[in-house]
Amino acid sequence: MCIALLAPLGGFLVTWLMPGQAVRLATGTMAISFLAALWLAITTWNTVTHVTLPWFTAGTEVLTLDFAIDNRSLLMLVVVSFISLMVHIYSAVYMRGDTGFARYYAMLGFFTFSMQGIVVTDNLLLLFVFWELVGFSSYALIGHWHTKRSAGAAATKAFLLNRIGDIGFLIGLMIVWRTQGTFTLTDALSFPITSGWQTAAALCLFGGVIGKSAQFPLFTWLPDAMEGPTPVSALIHAATMVAAGVFLLIKIFPLFTETALVVVAVTGMITSLIGALAAMSQYDLKRILAYSTMSQLGLMILALGMGVVDGAFLHLLTHAFFKACLFLAAGIVIHALAHAQQPHFDFDAQDVRNMGGLRKMLPTAFVAFLLGGASLAGIPFFSGFLSKEAMLVALFTHASALSWLMIVVVLSVSFLTVLYTYRMIALVFLGEPRTVKTINVHEVETGMRIPTLILAACSLWLIVSWNPFDFKGWMHHTGHAGPHELWLTIISVLWVFAALFLARMIFGKRTPETNSLLRNAFYIDTAYSALAEKFTQVNERVTSFTEQRIIDQTLHGIVYFQVIIAHITGWVDKHIVDGIVNGTVRVTGWTGRAARSIQGGNVQLYIFWAIFTIIIFIIWALN
Amino acid sequence: MPHLILVYLAAFLFCTGLLIVVIKRNAIMVLLGIELMFNAANLNLVAFNRINGPNLDGHIFALFVIIIAVCEAAVGLALILRIYRYYQSSTPDQFSELKG
Amino acid sequence: MSFVDAIFLFFAGLSAMAAIAIVFSKNVFRSALWLLVCLLSLAGLYVLSTAEFLAVAQILIYAGGILVILLFGIMLTTRISGKPLVVEHRHILSGALTAVALFVLLSLYLPGLTVEKNMLSPEPVSTLGLQLFSQYSLVFEIAGVLLLVALIGAAVIASELKSKT
Repeated sequence: MCIALLAPLGGFLVTWLMPGQAVRLATGTMAISFLAALWLAITTWNTVTHVTLPWFTAGTEVLTLDFAIDNRSLLMLVVVSFISLMVHIYSAVYMRGDTGFARYYAMLGFFTFSMQGIVVTDNLLLLFVFWELVGFSSYALIGHWHTKRSAGAAATKAFLLNRIGDIGFLIGLMIVWRTQGTFTLTDALSFPITSGWQTAAALCLFGGVIGKSAQFPLFTWLPDAMEGPTPVSALIHAATMVAAGVFLLIKIFPLFTETALVVVAVTGMITSLIGALAAMSQYDLKRILAYSTMSQLGLMILALGMGVVDGAFLHLLTHAFFKACLFLAAGIVIHALAHAQQPHFDFDAQDVRNMGGLRKMLPTAFVAFLLGGASLAGIPFFSGFLSKEAMLVALFTHASALSWLMIVVVLSVSFLTVLYTYRMIALVFLGEPRTVKTINVHEVETGMRIPTLILAACSLWLIVSWNPFDFKGWMHHTGHAGPHELWLTIISVLWVFAALFLARMIFGKRTPETNSLLRNAFYIDTAYSALAEKFTQVNERVTSFTEQRIIDQTLHGIVYFQVIIAHITGWVDKHIVDGIVNGTVRVTGWTGRAARSIQGGNVQLYIFWAIFTIIIFIIWALN
Repeated sequence: MPHLILVYLAAFLFCTGLLIVVIKRNAIMVLLGIELMFNAANLNLVAFNRINGPNLDGHIFALFVIIIAVCEAAVGLALILRIYRYYQSSTPDQFSELKG
Repeated sequence: MSFVDAIFLFFAGLSAMAAIAIVFSKNVFRSALWLLVCLLSLAGLYVLSTAEFLAVAQILIYAGGILVILLFGIMLTTRISGKPLVVEHRHILSGALTAVALFVLLSLYLPGLTVEKNMLSPEPVSTLGLQLFSQYSLVFEIAGVLLLVALIGAAVIASELKSKT
């Protein structure tokens, strides 16, 4: 297990130190990690491995590093390392000639290590550590082309919004510690806690999930994260990091009460609707995919909110494969277009309005898009269909009022998914070439095509189970084999084909203009920016006011006070101290003069004093 | 009884002589006071001789006191004359060169 | 009170009053004359104490010698200071207090001497002569020498040799 966890970390360190051999080292370590994960999965399937190491002591509490590997962790380990490996191979070609080549691979390794950490840990605090590391890696990778201003801004936005979610995570951590007394999940989840605190803890931890998995309202960073290189988007923002939130939710699922679950479900519902609607109206190829990811994540969160844990997990896995495949294929398109435009760039290689008819020039990408897109749309014979099935069936058997609403939402979202997927494929590959007519686009190298095709293959139904219509396989565990199952399947199939038909009608021939409201995702992002700006201005005014009035006034007061003290001291010194000295002098002088007057030179006075003394002597002697 | 009176008188004369010495601003008056003090002592001696037997120690003592008073008066007067010539004044206040 | 006592008191009072007159007199000359009176009354007291020789010696030496010298001194030295023969007083209060204090002190111890045996000598002159030349002959000689020295000294001091001034 350690190998699987630490090999990517080793890759990160080694690549940092020896940038020349970056590709081979990183890919090699990633391959090692994947094989180790696979071996671990095969050997420890259906068992739960616990490893506990002492970590540190804070006062009387001893905190431990806990690792728990169960089936889900094993699956995630394998999937993460596999997709990371594909991305490593792909990036060898995509990022060739990039100035930050070694840095890129180092961060890829670091990210994979962090992600593996999230997957295997059983300790909430340790998970938080890895959570933050993943966020940091995402920041570094989004802003990889740091000379581009938009990249830096996007990376910062991602990090900030992630951070806001993490505040909730921290509060949730504190609540768990306070009520359960331990961070270890297996222990924490086995104690009962009062429902008020439980809901609070669950919702706070869900806050972290909202930030990391781009749910409403902290989703605006995901479209901007497309500023990073496409392989990065494939790895992080489609398959793994955003899935980390869902994974966390699955892990702490026993913590959620009824009310918390309702909140979760509603959040997922809103997110998936917004994502789907926005994806319908984007012009940027990667943004379509980003909003699509957001929508699919919303679906997973929604399913979790309704208690469909296994279905959500299955969808997580299948989504990882087909979304990564889609991103890599998009990368092929963008890379080919960018290369063909050299040495001067006339148009945006990512804008779909410039593309069209690329099926002839980039067949690999076309095939990949078809397969991945079909899976995304939920067409039968593909993995996506099966995972959506799992969710729908579970929702149906739940049969509460809320679940009927959710079923409606899920159906609407899947309808929209079909629509925008078709639109995307149509605009890019079908029809006649538009601006790309002017350039000579040629097929990309094998190094990029093979990983894409491998992932495309994983989007087929075979990954899940042998039966293309039955989702219960080795990935999925529970079985609610209800009688309603079959006709539900038939309905969903019909639903999908209806959507396809409609899509072909709408998007087949023309390229319609899109609604700007949808395109800007209901202007939520703009609202956030304006709010942040306003807040900063208010902050600035308050601070300057404080500084001027309060601080300066205090300083002035102190200075005046000092001056007054100085004056008083001077007065005291002049009159009292000197007065004492002068007085002493005067007294001494007077005494001296008085004493001196005895010896006045007057004989008679001498006689007088002598007689005086004699008198005193007589009095004394004769007494 | 007369003996007591004599002794009292002697004390009185002595103190009067002292008063003259201290008060008067004339050197000759100082001498006068001193002479009065001598006489007071003499009277005292004679007064006690009335009591203490037929031997005349007191008388003889008084005689010698007179002799010494004579010496002293002579020398004192010579000094005063000398000082008078120097200071052109006979006021003891003016003889203050030994002032401390 | 017998005649002797009355005379006694008369002379005693006279000497006391003369002494006081010396103090209060502002004229040097007058003070010297009051001193003469005092001395003479003292001589009278001596006579009443059977010290005739002393009384005569007192009159001869004091009244005749010392007082004359004093008068000479007075005349010789009171020429220049403004008004002649006038004396001012100083330190009156302190002097008076001191004198009174001394008198009080001296008189505090005197009441203890009230032994009253009257041992007047029967033949004072011959006894005095005999004692003077037998018992006190050394003192007599020394006194003579002292007189000599004092007179020579006085002469020297008062002389106006031009070499030393």
